Amino acid sequence: MVVEEFPNFLEWVGPGLLLLLGISVAGAILGIFLGYVVASFKHGPFEAFYVVAKVISEAIPDAFGTSPRRILAIARLSIKEAMRRRVILVTFAIFAGALLFGGWFMNAGSDNPDQIYVNFVLWGTQLLILLMGMLISAFSLPEDIKNKTIYTIVTKPVRATEIVIGRIFGFGALATALLALMALISFAFVWRGLSHDHEIVDSQKVSAFYDIDPETRLSNRGKRVSPNAIKAAETTFESGHRHRVELVEDIRKPDEKQPEDTSNIVSQTIGPDGQIIYHRVIVIPTAGHTHRVTINGTGDDATVELGPATGYFRARVPVYSDGIQFFDRQGAPNKRGIDVGKEWGYRGYVDGGSRLAPNSLSKADFMFSDFDASVLGDETILPLEMSLGVFRTYKGDIEKRVIGSIQFESVPEDPASQNRFQSDSIVFETNEFQIQTLPISRKQPGRLIAPDGSTIEQGVFDLFDDYAKNKKLNLVLRCEDYNQYIGVARADVYFRATDDLYWANFFKGYLGIWCQMMVVIAMGVSFSTFLSAPITMLATIVTMIVGFFTPFIRTMTQEDVAGGGPIESLFRLVTQKNMEVTLETGIGTTLMEQSDNLLVGGLSTLTYLAPNFAQMNFADFLTYGYSIDSQRLLVAIALTLAFCFGLSILGYFCLKTREIAK
Amino acid sequence: MSTDTPVKDDKPRRLEQSNPDYDPNIVVEAQNLTKVYRDFWGRQKVRALQALDLEIKKGEIFGLLGPNGSGKSTTIKLLLGLLFPTSGRALVFGKDASEVSKNERIGYLPEESYLYKFLTAEETLDFYGRLFDMPAKVRKERVNALIEKVGLTWAKRRQLKEYSKGMTRRIGLAQALINDPDLILLDEPTSGLDPLGTREMKDMIIELRDQGKTVVMCSHLLADVQDVCDRIAILYQGELKELGRVDSLLKVSDETQVLAKGLTPEAYDDIRAAVAKHGGEVLGIDNPKSTLEDLFLDIVRESQARPGHRTSRADGSSD
Ligand SMILES: Nc1ncnc2c1ncn2[C@@H]1O[C@H](COP(=O)(O)OP(=O)(O)OP(=O)(O)O)[C@@H](O)[C@H]1O
Ligand SMILES: [Mg+2]
Repeated sequence: MVVEEFPNFLEWVGPGLLLLLGISVAGAILGIFLGYVVASFKHGPFEAFYVVAKVISEAIPDAFGTSPRRILAIARLSIKEAMRRRVILVTFAIFAGALLFGGWFMNAGSDNPDQIYVNFVLWGTQLLILLMGMLISAFSLPEDIKNKTIYTIVTKPVRATEIVIGRIFGFGALATALLALMALISFAFVWRGLSHDHEIVDSQKVSAFYDIDPETRLSNRGKRVSPNAIKAAETTFESGHRHRVELVEDIRKPDEKQPEDTSNIVSQTIGPDGQIIYHRVIVIPTAGHTHRVTINGTGDDATVELGPATGYFRARVPVYSDGIQFFDRQGAPNKRGIDVGKEWGYRGYVDGGSRLAPNSLSKADFMFSDFDASVLGDETILPLEMSLGVFRTYKGDIEKRVIGSIQFESVPEDPASQNRFQSDSIVFETNEFQIQTLPISRKQPGRLIAPDGSTIEQGVFDLFDDYAKNKKLNLVLRCEDYNQYIGVARADVYFRATDDLYWANFFKGYLGIWCQMMVVIAMGVSFSTFLSAPITMLATIVTMIVGFFTPFIRTMTQEDVAGGGPIESLFRLVTQKNMEVTLETGIGTTLMEQSDNLLVGGLSTLTYLAPNFAQMNFADFLTYGYSIDSQRLLVAIALTLAFCFGLSILGYFCLKTREIAK
Repeated sequence: MSTDTPVKDDKPRRLEQSNPDYDPNIVVEAQNLTKVYRDFWGRQKVRALQALDLEIKKGEIFGLLGPNGSGKSTTIKLLLGLLFPTSGRALVFGKDASEVSKNERIGYLPEESYLYKFLTAEETLDFYGRLFDMPAKVRKERVNALIEKVGLTWAKRRQLKEYSKGMTRRIGLAQALINDPDLILLDEPTSGLDPLGTREMKDMIIELRDQGKTVVMCSHLLADVQDVCDRIAILYQGELKELGRVDSLLKVSDETQVLAKGLTPEAYDDIRAAVAKHGGEVLGIDNPKSTLEDLFLDIVRESQARPGHRTSRADGSSD
């Protein structure tokens, strides 16, 4: 999953408040300006000035005169009106239909069926709810004005604020109810679609498992089995997949930790050296899940019972590093890693050297600056998860995995005088984008190194108490395969803390949809104060598209692009000059550059006014099973409120300057 | 109606007192009020109202008369702030017509009842009631009383889309009275009503006046206006042609009317002679009134023949 760099809420809230202020001021200015334009068409520029001045002078009393009671009355009316429109019903029917028929096309046997299911319901819900929000909100006010029912409203002591906010409230409440219903149904749909039961083929008895040849270590189907497997069996084929079930021999010393889950133990014997030998039945994960095993009976009568699927509904809580630093082959710090010519630069690459230059110093440092045992729940085994990019310069055996290694280093405040710890390398194999988990023991063998580079002590040290004594830790990632590259971004490597509750995460994901929905409704209501219904929808869609691509447009406008801005590019295109040719200096060029700067500047300002929908979209988190951290959620909600507020102000000014009976 | 809520009244009053020019006896004031409708591009389309000067006093029933398209509805919409004047001012309770707070004391019945068709009569009144600052108990009472008053108790649970035109008109009136307003603006109140309904409406208007409320109505049904209005203004193509008390406008002072009964045609000469000689049985001698219809048609004909301001026959500001 691609994770954008993201500030936490406290970092965000300062500039965020500024943003709120900016949005409100922008809403007011835009509203006044639009009002002025419309009014000057009707009354001429001077009269319009008078109209607008009056509206501004009434804004404050109107704000104070706004009453929750009237807002509620209008909200209730809007709900009744929207219900009558049947949009809700149609939306719901489409949703139900999509789930009904969509289920047929979903392949529960693929690698990650949970991702397919969750992705489907999320995008479906999002699309439908946003569309519905737009429809009910865009048509309401224009219809009221067309039917002149608005006459009987505005001749009551109703403020323009109440007409706008009441609608946002009413439609918001209705859409929220629908969204909640859709969320519940989606959850049930995913749950039901994925839940299934297996049995062992032929016989449930453990004694009926077939034996594994210790030489080949292959199953009946020719697959390699676990190193300690002694017997195996297959489950029935359900939901497009089957599992292999293995009887494994698990040997532990008496002073070692004993298995926590005892339900899958078939027998327990004491070995010649006093060690305990467990025979356990395990289910090999397929399609992203496994099943819990319960053994009933003992000895030859022991039978296997497989429980429901587990492992689908995860909300992983990643503990990311605070920064990533690449080093090139010579060991010099480098901003983006080694250039492998990939056009899209989310990941940076480290290389494994070559036969000619075997000692590449290329690496990536993941810098943790608050590495504390409490963050990871005081566990003794810390799961480190990675999903890495792989770039091969020779293909050879494409199935063969690329080898990499990680190493832990302490980060002394003053490297010139303080000793540092360095762990031994932990080697791993990876394929591109395969999520893998390395169980990292808290106790890591390594050495204590003096500032001059000599080893002071060799031994086993504690990750938290020794390596990260000052709460700082470096995780060094290298590629150990000649001529291959491993690509990483900051979010690709993380420690995994205890999972969050899945349903809570699901709820958070839908809260993200809710935020987008509220902004769309606010846009619909606000825009419809001065636009007709179809134009309102168009404007909402355009703003949404700008909103979805906000990050993209922003980087486009902020980074220096070869060939200049839109006008210069056009000029180069027409005059057939390539991007690198320097243009003749002169008035023409200067003019061109200045207008480009203006255009690009305007565009980037616009992106701050368009709601950043990407910041409210948590679909990927849910799809890939990551916990949505509360910081993001807080920012999304704050952003939503800011936009609803700013859009209400815009709507207020537009409605106020509008001649209702015209 | 048990309508008096003492709480409601003091808030707007206080506001009015901040206006030094405010005379509490003048409820509506139009100063040089002009409205020109323009199209989207700002081009002039219709001059709907021209330099209207008008004062409507507390406790009177004021009628706006005029042929179709003469600017009656435009005037009312300007007074309500639904339209913005092209020039001039409209003051209601001494405040600018575009101010929202004046609406606390106003009731408005539009030309056609623009109501939410998916609500029932009860829901409609309840909804409009919620827009005013009144306790829920008072609101409920008032909703029931008004439904009773406009005679829709039998249909109060039916959606307005099932209502006939007259029924919609009645619920529209109830809606205008939900806040027990001090000023009621009625745009063609009797249109669509049956004779009985018309009678009831007229009685109601007079009853409202007797309660001290001010009523502004416009209509082209002259009989209605003649029956109920204290003062009228006659508009023609946006211009004020006549303004005055109904009785003085219609008084014809140099004629005498004799009402007699049971006479044969031969008796006419005798009566003339007898009247000349103060003989005969005179049933009644009175200052006759021309009907409003005559006056109205006169004005319209005259205006068509000679455009421009017409010199009033009666004292315009008479009282
Ligand atoms: N929205 C509008 N746009 C353009 N012209 C309008 C508009 N509303 C009214 N007019 C014009 O203004 C003039 C006055 O219209 P108004 O509705 O005030 O007449 P009225 O006296 O109420 O007539 P009626 O007795 O038919 O109700 C008419 O010429 C009409 O065509
Ligand atoms: Mg009219």
